[in-house]
Amino acid sequence: MSDKHETAARTADALPDQQPNQLPDEIGGARDATHWAKAVSRLNVSQVPEGAINLNVTGKRLTSPIQGFGKMWQKTYQVRLPQERVSATDLIATWKQRFPDFWPEGNRFYAPLTGIEPGEVALLNMTLPGRMKLSTGVMVLYADEESFTLMTPQGHMFAGWITFSATEKDGETVAQAQVLMRASDPIFELGLTMGGHKQEDRFWNHTMREVAAHFGEIAVVDTQVVCVDKRRQWSRWSNIWHSSAIRSTVYMLGAPVRAVRARLGGKSTG
Amino acid sequence: MTSELTAVRRRDGVAVIDMVGDVNASAEGALDAAWAQATEGHPDAVVLNFEDAGYINSTGIALIVGMMAKARAHAIPIRAYGLTPHYREIFEITRLADFLAINPDEDSAVHGAERSST
Repeated sequence: MSDKHETAARTADALPDQQPNQLPDEIGGARDATHWAKAVSRLNVSQVPEGAINLNVTGKRLTSPIQGFGKMWQKTYQVRLPQERVSATDLIATWKQRFPDFWPEGNRFYAPLTGIEPGEVALLNMTLPGRMKLSTGVMVLYADEESFTLMTPQGHMFAGWITFSATEKDGETVAQAQVLMRASDPIFELGLTMGGHKQEDRFWNHTMREVAAHFGEIAVVDTQVVCVDKRRQWSRWSNIWHSSAIRSTVYMLGAPVRAVRARLGGKSTG
Repeated sequence: MTSELTAVRRRDGVAVIDMVGDVNASAEGALDAAWAQATEGHPDAVVLNFEDAGYINSTGIALIVGMMAKARAHAIPIRAYGLTPHYREIFEITRLADFLAINPDEDSAVHGAERSST
């Protein structure tokens, strides 16, 4: 699966009042300051790797679960590995380094050139049910030696974040992916209720099994799903304007027109 | 953070949760217990006091989001104070500040006198 491991350098736009070399102590004295992304107004993708489609990322704002439309869910996927096989910190280091390799076929994570580091932006090209292609991205919100968190922009399937972590307990290293999310808009919410949740479960079950397999273990994935808030946020229906599904579909439908224009443009200039 | 270190106080009909120590995965039980205690009798609002909070990681932020969802479900306003500039910035990045009123001190948080952002 090494063909999925592609890299690109991308950064999020820092707010103008931040100094690039500002020390943690200068922004509040917290000992975890370097683990968090700097404040961003809107995402920016500086380099797009070959094969990646940069849609629905540049200029988008980040969205927490609070900005989404659908019910709020917390989904937790865990696998347990012998601690003598891998420590929590080594597991997370490997997970960061080989993150795209563990994804199911048909889905691509174009990792930042500098790796999974706070503030970096990655492009995602996904395959949804019905073979629909979807282009979006994520920003690395937080990263330390034992965990990292990805946060979604406007238009992503869901508003929220995914935290990947590892802990050591009773001689085992527990690897975990935890999703805290709401569907971004009514269409994605409908999709989740019509099989999307199952597909997401399959996606992360596959990922967790691949992580375990990398360390030589055939693992059973423990899945826990909790509905944190049953209510839908109808005031957020207009999030559909940013829908990456709609925008990706329009982009794909426009491919023949773009091809004809490119050919005509080529002839006129050649 | 342990439940012994997370205190719940009442002031003018408002429940104040004093967050003490690190807010991370190990804080989940303590925060759940504090929330249950704080919302007994449906207070006018719940105020989160971060003055003595230490390290907050992304799992801790997720726990706070969970509290905000519960507050919304029960129509209880939720406010915060005592955040360092660093964590105020984190609340802005994660966009929690869009829905959680961040006040400069306990008086304004209890009385809902000021919002840093809307």
